[in-house]
Amino acid sequence: MFTKAFRRLLSNKTFSLLNILGLATGITCSALIFLWVEDEVTYNNHFTHKNQLYSVLENQTYNGVTSTFWSTPGPLSPAVQSSVPGIQNTARMTWADKQNFSYNNNPIYQRGAYVDPAFLSMFSLTFLKGNPAAALTQPNSLVVTREMATTIFGNTEDAMGKSVKVNNSELFTVTAVVENQPYNSSVRFQWLLPFAAYEKNNPWVKTWGNNGLQTFIQLAPGANTNAVNKQLTQLIRTSEPESKDEAFVFPMSQWRLYSYFNNGKPAGGRIKDVRLFAGIAWVILFIACINFMNLSTARSEKRAREVGVRKVIGAQKLRLILQFGGESMFMSFLSVVLSIGLIYLFLPAFNSLVQKHLSLSLIQPVHLAGLLSIGLICGIVAGSYPALYLSSFKPIQVLKGFRDRQNSSASWFRKGLVVFQFSISIILIICTTIVYRQVEHTRNRQLGFDKENLIYAKLEKNVQEHFSVVRDELVRSGVVTDAALCNQNMLEVGSNGAGFEWQGKDPSVNPLVSLIATGPHLLNTMGFQLESGRDFYTDAKADSASVIINRRLANMMGKEGQVGHYIKRAKEQYLITGIVNDFLYNDMYSKPAPLIMFCMPQLTEVLMIRLKPSDNLISAVGKVETIIKKYQPEYPFEYNFTDQSFNTMFFNEQFTGKLASLFAALAILISCLGLFGLSAFSAEQRKKEIGIRKVLGATVSNVTALLSKEFMALVLVSSIIAFPVAWWLMHNWLQNYEYRISISWWIFLLAGITAMLIALITISFQSIRAAISNPVKSLRNT
Amino acid sequence: MIKITDLEKVYRTEEVETVALNKLSFEVKHGEFVAVMGPSGCGKSTLLNILGLLDDPDAGSFLFNDIEVAHFNERKRADLRKHNIGFVFQSFNLIDELTVFENAELPLIYTGVKAAERKKRVEEVLEKVQIMHRRNHYPQQLSGGQQQRVAVARAVVNKPKLILADEPTGNLDSSNGNEVMQLLTELNEQGTTIIMVTHSEHDARYSHRIIRMLDGQTVTENIMI
Ligand SMILES: Nc1ncnc2c1ncn2[C@@H]1O[C@H](COP(=O)(O)OP(=O)(O)OP(=O)(O)O)[C@@H](O)[C@H]1O
Ligand SMILES: [Mg+2]
Repeated sequence: MFTKAFRRLLSNKTFSLLNILGLATGITCSALIFLWVEDEVTYNNHFTHKNQLYSVLENQTYNGVTSTFWSTPGPLSPAVQSSVPGIQNTARMTWADKQNFSYNNNPIYQRGAYVDPAFLSMFSLTFLKGNPAAALTQPNSLVVTREMATTIFGNTEDAMGKSVKVNNSELFTVTAVVENQPYNSSVRFQWLLPFAAYEKNNPWVKTWGNNGLQTFIQLAPGANTNAVNKQLTQLIRTSEPESKDEAFVFPMSQWRLYSYFNNGKPAGGRIKDVRLFAGIAWVILFIACINFMNLSTARSEKRAREVGVRKVIGAQKLRLILQFGGESMFMSFLSVVLSIGLIYLFLPAFNSLVQKHLSLSLIQPVHLAGLLSIGLICGIVAGSYPALYLSSFKPIQVLKGFRDRQNSSASWFRKGLVVFQFSISIILIICTTIVYRQVEHTRNRQLGFDKENLIYAKLEKNVQEHFSVVRDELVRSGVVTDAALCNQNMLEVGSNGAGFEWQGKDPSVNPLVSLIATGPHLLNTMGFQLESGRDFYTDAKADSASVIINRRLANMMGKEGQVGHYIKRAKEQYLITGIVNDFLYNDMYSKPAPLIMFCMPQLTEVLMIRLKPSDNLISAVGKVETIIKKYQPEYPFEYNFTDQSFNTMFFNEQFTGKLASLFAALAILISCLGLFGLSAFSAEQRKKEIGIRKVLGATVSNVTALLSKEFMALVLVSSIIAFPVAWWLMHNWLQNYEYRISISWWIFLLAGITAMLIALITISFQSIRAAISNPVKSLRNT
Repeated sequence: MIKITDLEKVYRTEEVETVALNKLSFEVKHGEFVAVMGPSGCGKSTLLNILGLLDDPDAGSFLFNDIEVAHFNERKRADLRKHNIGFVFQSFNLIDELTVFENAELPLIYTGVKAAERKKRVEEVLEKVQIMHRRNHYPQQLSGGQQQRVAVARAVVNKPKLILADEPTGNLDSSNGNEVMQLLTELNEQGTTIIMVTHSEHDARYSHRIIRMLDGQTVTENIMI
């Protein structure tokens, strides 16, 4: 059967090439997406106890709005272990952070966390050296990954027993080397240190009032999570009587894809993207199959004779179905082979697009089976209709001179499929444009500060203590306008709190307020606008009980939201010395939350530096580095540009946008391959008609228009179908963003015209060729 | 109306070179009815294509109404053609997807005649070839003779000065063939010049003059009485 199929393939080169190229493009694209999907849905699959592991989450309600936090108080874990039945193990973990490790005086920042010893067995880490029972039992133990061991010691062999200075103070000794976590693991780290070491320097973890740690729980198989949740909540409320918080366990299987909560209720998560993209992968595959169906049935006139003859000599319908099905299966598998090459070719680019480390491995059963099923599905989908259609020809009808009429049902079916292809393409063009415009719209939003030429660097205590000297030196260097201390990158304000009071406050109002620890000069460094009042005094101590608040909070406070008035929390009372504009942070798509800046340089960790605009920022940063290094020689100088960090905040949207444009381009490409084939077919079929028309005086443009018209009409219909669908999709998508564009009509027009133009160019290859052909030739032998 | 001198047409394929017209010369006057005869492959159709400005000669001169058109480009030829020449083919060459009326209407569309005027003129010619009652039928629903009458109607709807007919009766039985010949004769009597290729001595008798060809050359010219 395949030799026959192969002979036919060779005898119709253009047709076969179009089919295989289209299918291979579709298969490549969908296979890449499926690899991405696989990576997402297999997140955390490598953990042995994945079905028993949970993270403890807390629902906290402020102002009637419930927010879900992944942070829990420090004492929770030991308390749970001893008092809640059904629990096999618990462990705490700090939020992964970069710390300074110095071996042989080579300082280097590595990412990791402090964990309880039970963490090692709960998360079934693979030990290359050392053993899980002993690895974190000593207060100065250090567990490193293969990656970190190789970075610091050159290999995993030499790591064991080596002492490393952490954060330039204490020495820790490597007690174990573990395998790196795979890229699709929710707990990724380069090192693990004993939680005890953290507790020693951070007394707050002993209190119930501070939620700053992750708590993991391993439940016995089949444990009743509802009962556990009740007990967890009870535990928290008894330990902290005012607390209304609610704790619950959240299974590992949902960490990655179902991590969104809305007002305390699960609200899906990345699974939405996974479903969307998987759906698009299937659609693209189908679009590619459509080409096959269309071209095969279109060419049926040529094959009708063959079918007629075969039937006359006694071929069964089933045999014919099998024959044609076999041909499409053969094509489909050739396309799969071609697409394997294409996948390898495009995987690096795709990886950098989606920021993953995907790989295709033909020896992996899942991948092999996946490709084979794609081949099978394409073969069946693409081949079924042509096979049924072709084999159903009646021999007499065919031998008497069959013509696939313009308005036969097959021709309508083909038209429908083309309309489907172009509708999808146009929808994708519109969505791409709108996503792109929404991102650009937000990126160009007035932030309320100047993000250009602004760097931030993590720094150590020395710099804070000598801040005014350091700042003077920076300013004197000539490359820096101003500098200020702060507890984090200003785009991501991580701390917040409730319970603020002011005179005449409505007791039902209890806003969650963002908190910033900073010192003097921040306003000038950031470029915030001081609406009233003053900045903190250069002598920070003088302002230890003063705060600067943002306009939002000031408005909330009403009469009290003025310079000179007070805001209270528990026993502390703060004087408002300044009110700044509502600059944006955290969420670029909505209004900034109320915010308070405290003058507490002792709590800061980040230095914000405003560089003078210059063509050579790198050399300016070099000068800054020299100065900072003087004060912290033991630490590498690590910095970021705020505008770059700003851009990464749009990763999700840009990711969606980039993928959507990729899909749009591919959908158009594949659709046009099909259109190219169909228009060739149409030109061929209408050869005689074109000849006659030319004899009667039709010009080249008359004929080109005649041939293009029918396809243009299809694209027009596609636009009419695509417009409302795209509008509805994008309207819904935009509802996710408070700061958003309105959907302009010209985007639709543009998409329609773009599709028309692309289709027209594709068709014109064929129609112009047909139009300039000599009519004498087409009328010969007729 | 037509004067060709030393007209040459050579077809070259990879292996062979076929001289289809070899220094062919003759003249056709306004209002003449000329039959072209000769064995198969002697170049009759080739000649008709050149006379019909569908193809250009390799050498020689072709005066159409005293204008040298041998080297006209495609656009000029198409323009001259659609206003002056009508074609009738052996295999009718009607467009299957169009009705009788629409088929006959086509030349008028390409010469830019207004719709109302088109309707009038198409009805006129369909009346003339007695096919008006079938105006909304498709070609396959007609007999060969009826189809050829539609083709004739289409050829004359633009009131061309010249009609070129390539074996117009070749696919018809004798009674249908006679009807078509009758039509052509009527047209000729109303002043249209006709050049007709035929294999039938019977049909050739309708003409005024027979040009006999052999291997791309004229051998004799008989004047009919
Ligand atoms: N496009 C072409 N390419 C090559 N040779 C051609 C072409 N058209 C015609 N010929 C050759 O030119 C010669 C004349 O052909 P033409 O069609 O004019 O003959 P004819 O007199 O009309 O024949 P018939 O009576 O069979 O219709 C023939 O030998 C034919 O094979
Ligand atoms: Mg001929």
